[in-house]
Formats: sequence, structure tokens, C-alpha cells
Amino acid sequence: MQRRGNWEFFNGLLKVYAMSEKLIHRHDKLSIFIHWFNAFCWIALLLTGLGLIKNDQLNPLGAWWPNLMRALFGGGENLMAVHQYLGLIWAGAFVLYVLLKPKETWLFLKEVFTVSPSRDMTWFMKMNLKMTMGKKGLKRFGMTPDMPPQGFYNFGQKLFAQATVLGGIVIVVTGAIMFLSPIMLNNPDPAAWSRTIHYLAVGLVTAGMLVHIYMAAISKEEKPAFKSMFTGSVPEHYAKHHHQLWYEEVAGSRKKVEG
Amino acid sequence: MKKYAMVVDSSVCIDCKGCMVSCKVQNNVPKGYWRNWIKQTKPDFSLGKLTRTHFQPGGCMQCDVPTCVTACPSGATFKDRETGIVHVNEPLCIGCGNCVRACPYGARFRHPEKRVPDKCDFCFSAGRLARGIPPACVDTCPTKARVFGDLNDPDSEVSRLLRDKPTVRVTSKNIDTQPNLYYITTTEPADWVGDVEYPQAYSVMASLVSPLVKVAVGLSALGVAGMWAKQAFAPDPPDPGDDEHGPEAKHSEPTASKQD
Repeated sequence: MQRRGNWEFFNGLLKVYAMSEKLIHRHDKLSIFIHWFNAFCWIALLLTGLGLIKNDQLNPLGAWWPNLMRALFGGGENLMAVHQYLGLIWAGAFVLYVLLKPKETWLFLKEVFTVSPSRDMTWFMKMNLKMTMGKKGLKRFGMTPDMPPQGFYNFGQKLFAQATVLGGIVIVVTGAIMFLSPIMLNNPDPAAWSRTIHYLAVGLVTAGMLVHIYMAAISKEEKPAFKSMFTGSVPEHYAKHHHQLWYEEVAGSRKKVEG
Repeated sequence: MKKYAMVVDSSVCIDCKGCMVSCKVQNNVPKGYWRNWIKQTKPDFSLGKLTRTHFQPGGCMQCDVPTCVTACPSGATFKDRETGIVHVNEPLCIGCGNCVRACPYGARFRHPEKRVPDKCDFCFSAGRLARGIPPACVDTCPTKARVFGDLNDPDSEVSRLLRDKPTVRVTSKNIDTQPNLYYITTTEPADWVGDVEYPQAYSVMASLVSPLVKVAVGLSALGVAGMWAKQAFAPDPPDPGDDEHGPEAKHSEPTASKQD
């Protein structure tokens, strides 16, 4: 079975788990919707936003990209309108979520911003080595292959969530300033600086997003997490192995309920 | 393809301000703002009867090296290749004011109601060029100090003037903007043009933020490529923990979670 290659092996393993192993609830329907809504908006806003930069000194991808996007949308002004209104819808959805679900928002932020420096830094260092050089790499630096236990989110997920939360706030505020500038701002400077900061924040979150997409959709280790973004649950072994602290919590509370 | 330009004989300008007024009327330029101007030298009254002053009509120079276009990250201000005119695409503009500051001639202002830059476009958007009539300022000038035409047309008056007469251009000291506004023989004053200074928000974006973002995304992409290569070509054997629950035992020491 192991000779058949990892993906096959892993996939086969998953099917076995799906049949025999308990699934643990991880995401409710609203969280799943918000995730994919966010993903769609992010990618659409990133692509249209890149098309809005057209300047020989900046052009992150070259002049062909803004030219293509403007041709597709029938001019820069239409591209601008789509970017602005989609951005407003995206930001509006999150504002609505925060207003309607303050408790969930608070718990999410608490979860994401609570880190344990010693445990999580060790995890982060080891994970980097493990993902690029494997267990041999860990051994070479005198480290054991086991990873410090993680909670509902591992430290990598927390870092990216922190970046998206903080980056998202910066992006929304600077975006709103740029949107309002020709409508009501008599001083042009806030718009000029907002664009610079908007670009920086998007760039940094995008750098993190590449890793996020790789870890979720391409790496084998996190396949169950990727699937849980559709199904809402993860196999018990995965929870136990990848999110031990969370698993212990869930298992503990379940025992309490049962007992 | 046209290359519209203006050739000005400033020696015949009588400072009547007709060009400024007709421009304002034609283009609905708001109160207190002007798209064009007449500069003048400071008269030296100690010369008595010989005291003189020189008038210099001007406006946007539709530069071949437009620093306003350089300072615009979105291309909302652009030089039209078909006409050589520098335009503002107003719905694409966020009114950041970069172009207004980057113009060493002060040829732009931020429109107080539209909050986007406003400038001379040789009366293109007023529809005069399409109807075959020259810009309002040229049309109205009683001494014909302003001459307008297409430099790519060898028979145009501007081409003929440039061929027949020596001309000068007024440019910034640090960057030659290659303006398309020529003055016949010579002109005064010439010291009013400032240095081209790009606004800080723009220079920070171009020289600091843009490279930083490229490095960050590049490093991240490199890391992903490394992980991908590792997984594809030298994968680790499946984690024993995945099926045997092996390493977990090591962690059962009390590491109680603080999360709710």
C-alpha cells in the first residue's frame, strides 16, 4: 500500500477513515461560506486591483496585465468601478458579520491572537524545516520529528489569520479613503498615502496567501483541513495529530457531557 | 497620428488676458482657478522711460516626458499617443494629487468640486478639435501670439514656424520634460519653473514599497516552490502518527490549552 505513492496512499487512507473513523465537527456552514466568500473576493479584488496599477515604474506583473484587464472590463474606469464596489461588498459583509456575530468574532480573534511563544516558535521553526527538508532536515539540526501540540489553529494558520485580520482592516480603511477621496475629501494626501499603504498591505497578505493556498490545497499533510472547508468536519486521527490541544478540549468536553 | 503643439510669439503678447478668459468660459473652469496663464517679468522702474516688461502666455506643455504621468500609479492621467495631448481619465482618478505636485509648471489644479485634476487639453474635451477649430485661447488672441497645430503635419503653421524661426522651450532644471510649447526667438521670464519633485507618497511606493512587496511575494513563492519540490521529488514516508497514533504519547505531559 505504501509503495503505491503517497497521494494514492493518503487518499486510500482517507477513504478508510471516512468509513471507519469518527468525524469531528470543525466548521459550521456560515464559517465555510465566509471562507469561500472571502477567498473569491480576495482573488477577484487582487486581480482587478493589479489591473488598476498602470505605471512603468510600478507594474508588478508588467504592462500586459493592466492592458488585458482594462480590455476585458471595457476600460480602466469600469475596472475601477468593479474593484471599488466588490471591495465595498466584501468589507460590508465583514462589518455585518462583526455586528451580527460579536461573540463569534471575539472568540475567533481570541483564538487567532493567542499564541504561546516558546511552543509556537519551536513549531514554526520545525515546520519550516520539515516542509522544505523533511525529517532528515530536522535530524540534521538535531531535532526530533515530533511537533509541539497545536490548538484549533496551528501557529502557521494563526500567523496568516492575524495577517488577514490586520491586513484586512488596513485594506478596508485605505480603500474607503481612496473611494471617498474624489467624492468628499478636499485634501488629496490621505488618498495618496492610502494607495501606498493599500498596496503594501495587499502585497504582504498575498505573500502569506501563497503559503496558505499551498498548505491547504497542495500539501498532503493538510488535505483533511482542505476537505473540512467543504464538509465541515475532520477525521478524528487528523484532529488528534494536527490539532492535539483542540482535540483534547473537544474530547474532554464530550466526556463531560457523556459522564 | 498627430502631435499637437503650440508655438507662442511672446513678444507680441499685450497681456490682455483674452486667452485666459476664453479658456475659462469654454471649459467651465471654476472660480479662482485657471488652466492657462500669462506670466510677466518684473519691471525695473529705475530705467525710467526705458522701463519694460515682457509677457509670456503659457499653459500645459503636453510634455513628451510628462512627469505628471510618471507620478500617476493608475494611468488615470496619460499621454494620448494619437494626439500627444495629456489627458485625465476622471472616473479612474482617485484624486490623490500626485500629478498636480509633480508638474513643475503648475499647469494642473485639483478641481474643487470634482476633486480630480483639471488641466488644459487643447480644448479636446470641449470638442473644438473634432470640429476643426483651434483651442479657445488661440482663437481669441487678438495679436495671434498663440499658434496651434500638428507638428507631424509638415504644412501646418507650427511646423513652418519651427522650421523658419529659432525657438526656445521652458523646462525644469532637474528633468527635461521636453515640452511641446515653443517660444519664438526667446522668452522671459524663464526662472519660474521649479524642480520636478515627486510627492513622497509616490516615491515611497515606487522605491520602497514596490520592491519590498516583490521581495516578500518572491520569497514566499520560492518557499512554496521548495516545499512543492520536496513533496514531489523527495517525500517523507507517511507520518507514523497518521495511522499508529505514535508520537502523540510523547505529548501527553500537561500542556493544558488556555483557549476556551
